[in-house]
Amino acid sequence: MIVYQCWWKEVKPNGDECDDGHDDDDNPNNELLSTNTELTMRLLTLPTALLACLAFPDSSHATHTSNWAVLVSTSRFWFNYRHMANTLSLYRTVKRLGIPDSQIILMLPDDMACNPRNTFAGSVFNDKGRGLDLYDQKKDISPEEEAGGEGGETVGQGMPAGIEVDYRGNEVTVESFIRLLTDRWPASHPTSKRLMTDDRSNILIYMTGHGGDSFLKFQDAEEISSHDLADAFEQMYEKKRYHELLFMIDTCQANTMYTEFYSPGIVATGSSAKDQSSYSHHADQDVGVAVIDRWTYYNLDFLETRLNSTASDVRLGELFDFYTFDRVHSDAGVRYDLFPGGEHEARNRRVLDFFGNVQGVDVETAGDGLAALGDWRADLEALRRIAERQAAEEVNATQIRTDAGAQPEKHKTGKNVLPAGEANMGRDMTSLTGGEGWLKKALGATSLLALGGVWFAGGKIR
Amino acid sequence: MLLSSLFLLPAAVLAQTYTEHLHLSPLAQTSHLLAAFNFTSTTPLPAYESGHFTHFPRSLAQILQHTKTRELHLRFAWGRWDDEQWGPRPRMGRREGGTGVEIWAWLDQDHGGDVEERWSGLVNGLSGLFCASLNFIDSTRTTHPVLSFDPEGTHADGVTGQELLHGTLPHEVVCTENLTPFLKLLPCKGKAGISSLLDGHKVFDANWQTMSIDVRPICPAGGNGGGECVLEIQQTVDVVLDVERSMRARGDPIPRPRPIEELECDGGKGYGGGDTCYPKVKEGEMGWSLSRIFGTPVRGSCHLGDGHADADITLEVPLDRMVNVTNAQPLDAGNEQGIRSYRLPNHPPGQYTDLALPQQSVTQAVVQPQPPLYATRTITGSGQQHGGMHAHLRNPHPYAQTITYFESLPWFLRPYIHTLRVRNSETHENVKLEKMFYTPAKDRERGTHLELMFTVSAGGEVELSYDFEKAVLRYTEYPPDANRGFDVAPAVIRVLPNDNNTGDGGRQGSYIRTTSLLLPLPTPDFSMPYNVIILTSTVIALGFGSIFNLLTRRFVLAEEVPASKLALRVKAIVGVAQDVVGRLKGTKAVEMGGDAVGSGKGDGMGNGAG
Repeated sequence: MIVYQCWWKEVKPNGDECDDGHDDDDNPNNELLSTNTELTMRLLTLPTALLACLAFPDSSHATHTSNWAVLVSTSRFWFNYRHMANTLSLYRTVKRLGIPDSQIILMLPDDMACNPRNTFAGSVFNDKGRGLDLYDQKKDISPEEEAGGEGGETVGQGMPAGIEVDYRGNEVTVESFIRLLTDRWPASHPTSKRLMTDDRSNILIYMTGHGGDSFLKFQDAEEISSHDLADAFEQMYEKKRYHELLFMIDTCQANTMYTEFYSPGIVATGSSAKDQSSYSHHADQDVGVAVIDRWTYYNLDFLETRLNSTASDVRLGELFDFYTFDRVHSDAGVRYDLFPGGEHEARNRRVLDFFGNVQGVDVETAGDGLAALGDWRADLEALRRIAERQAAEEVNATQIRTDAGAQPEKHKTGKNVLPAGEANMGRDMTSLTGGEGWLKKALGATSLLALGGVWFAGGKIR
Repeated sequence: MLLSSLFLLPAAVLAQTYTEHLHLSPLAQTSHLLAAFNFTSTTPLPAYESGHFTHFPRSLAQILQHTKTRELHLRFAWGRWDDEQWGPRPRMGRREGGTGVEIWAWLDQDHGGDVEERWSGLVNGLSGLFCASLNFIDSTRTTHPVLSFDPEGTHADGVTGQELLHGTLPHEVVCTENLTPFLKLLPCKGKAGISSLLDGHKVFDANWQTMSIDVRPICPAGGNGGGECVLEIQQTVDVVLDVERSMRARGDPIPRPRPIEELECDGGKGYGGGDTCYPKVKEGEMGWSLSRIFGTPVRGSCHLGDGHADADITLEVPLDRMVNVTNAQPLDAGNEQGIRSYRLPNHPPGQYTDLALPQQSVTQAVVQPQPPLYATRTITGSGQQHGGMHAHLRNPHPYAQTITYFESLPWFLRPYIHTLRVRNSETHENVKLEKMFYTPAKDRERGTHLELMFTVSAGGEVELSYDFEKAVLRYTEYPPDANRGFDVAPAVIRVLPNDNNTGDGGRQGSYIRTTSLLLPLPTPDFSMPYNVIILTSTVIALGFGSIFNLLTRRFVLAEEVPASKLALRVKAIVGVAQDVVGRLKGTKAVEMGGDAVGSGKGDGMGNGAG
């Protein structure tokens, strides 16, 4: 068995590094940061009287009304066949569970099905058994079969035929991915290539490729860092582009990709801890390369065996418990703290809330004018919540600063209680001047003193 | 060829129709089969303009209306047409594109908004519809050809007030995700009728395949009052399949040697021993059937009740070849051209139609007609800075032909037009250029547009060559697989109609496209910036560090070094301490008698000097 592991072990400074390739004008991250701060400024100056007069239409516990999936493979070239197969397997699964092609954004940086190296033209397999073609399962209808049963429509094990790749080849870049998430496109950008979500959409984001500590490579040419991703999600939250978000990533050191997230409503899971590789599962000797990664393989194993219909009542917790070290050969991680209700609520969500197309329905009873008023109120309400959250962070940060010197221990516990509080770009520095900072300063001073002592003693000896 | 004569048939049909047609013809002397699918539907122009699309795909119509596109031609192509063996191209090359994606369209000029902007809207819209990176067709890949393309539809006042734009993407891969939306545009969505044969696994395993979509307005001849104008959409898929390869088992496509029992040995070889087997050359035409080649028989039919009784499938094989037909109605058992035609059954739906041709020896020799022109194009030269383009055209016919030669080059290939030579290969005389259009490239803004018109004499060969320079790209302009090279779009050669080949009534003439080219550009080592940064840091740390160290030091003899104040003070303190200790000891020593005090002071001095 051939097992591939990360050959990209180098640790790169995250954040600014990946922007090497962009001009400053069209750098989505710059845009993103500026709007972030701008919005905050504007929010804080909103008249509080206006905010106070708002009614409380509590929509935070409402269910979602649409399901979307963003499935991204980030590596090019034939030997990364398995990443394409990973992504296509997930594509097949969500399509089987009912998400239509129009609500799946599929990004494939290279063409495997029609690659001249592919012995099986037009096919991509995720198992050496080759029982299932991920690239448009063929309509295996023969006259005999047809005579036997009338179920001609449900061919290909329940998945509708055909495949639609939204971004392919050189279109798969960090820029287009962030633009997709934040929906910043020129007017001519077609609808089918946009993520048309709102605050009642559940989104599944799946990424796979080669990565490292806090970064994921795109096409061997550029990287996306965990900070970029976290800021894109925050912008999505501010723009009310998701209700709940499940982030899945299968790459080396995958769990480092979601540590920077700070927007509420996100459950994140990754295949391997820091300094760990994610491994491939097995190779097909006729295809000639590894065909699937371990973590994705066991995800599919679970989804295929446990989710047989769109009525399956399987919870996310069960899926997460399925990632044992024995299976995955690395420490898969889950992050619950951003989810309202924490671990309990997140684990209790149905898997189909993200992988299927099961939706709640909202009936708007109010007339047009009233509905518009409701929208307006809801918008203000959302803005108010963001402002409050950021104000709370501000307060929290200053508290940390004042408390820190005296009681570093207490501050640490306080940090755990406030899940979404930490790690707004600017806040990173302030928290560093907090408890840990003091500890570091003390350490530094001690070591300086020790060095001085040594120097002095040396002088003495000679 | 039949296909060329069928070409203009749909122009004479009713206002609101849908027809589909499959033409099968084995290519002579090879084991290849050409399958040409054609799906044509029309809708009255007034109905289209008021948003009433019957069989016309709505998703496409809305894009065309939004961008004020009058006529659209979109091509996806992959593979190489083998002129030498396969003869002339199907549909006279008019439904064929260069490798990758090719698109040209006529857009209204005077409907507000910039034409370029609407063109960008069109390619972006189509990129979403067809899952292709058509949005990469920007100003650098767009040209405005003058000679090579004429509108196919009827336009009331010609094409004045309309602008022709042409774009190519030679690097684009064509695969199943492009076929899926293509089939979705059809009224039967690939579920019934001949479109049920189209399967990505077979179409993209072909030696050559091209998909096209053509939208054009057609008005009946005779000017005003002659009838209603219609808008026609014609979708075609032409594939050349290797019969043997296509009939391999799907789950096990890897060829393996046959077991010895199945081998047919040729015992006639005098030099073979009893233990050897020289396989017999297969005689006659290979047997094949639709269901074995396409993996499925034709499912049902897609007759949309418009009263037509045209043939759905036509087969072009010698008349003495046996054909076993399952479930189809033969319309014509073979006309004078040797073409048999069949119509799929209307009822009941869900029936399967198949054509099977057993292996058979056929005595009737098939004469392969010659293509209008043979053309090849190559990049010459070596090195990273300069290169040359060389095209070779051969006219196999005993009459002269006038052609136009169109190249759209990327901006990073900079041709030296003063080196352009069009010469007769044998006499080395210059060929007179009748017309020439040339738009030089601007870096990062537009590509080169070169269009020539000249005559190739009867049986003559023409060589066209020029030199070019390769540009150096910016670091960020390289694609992720820069070392693969950069694709240069094929040249489009149009053989203008003349007295000898206007039999098909085409004012279009026929088209030939060369293969696309791979241009290697000077490519940097992409880890270089990191190497430079690391090396520079090291050099600075070592060099600057040591020089700074030297510059800020003064070198003196050890004796000249004045003792520092701190050291003196410390020494004083130590001395005092030692004095005290010494005194304490001294008192004891005095009591005991001896010179312990002197030795104590000596120690103190020694320490200070160090």
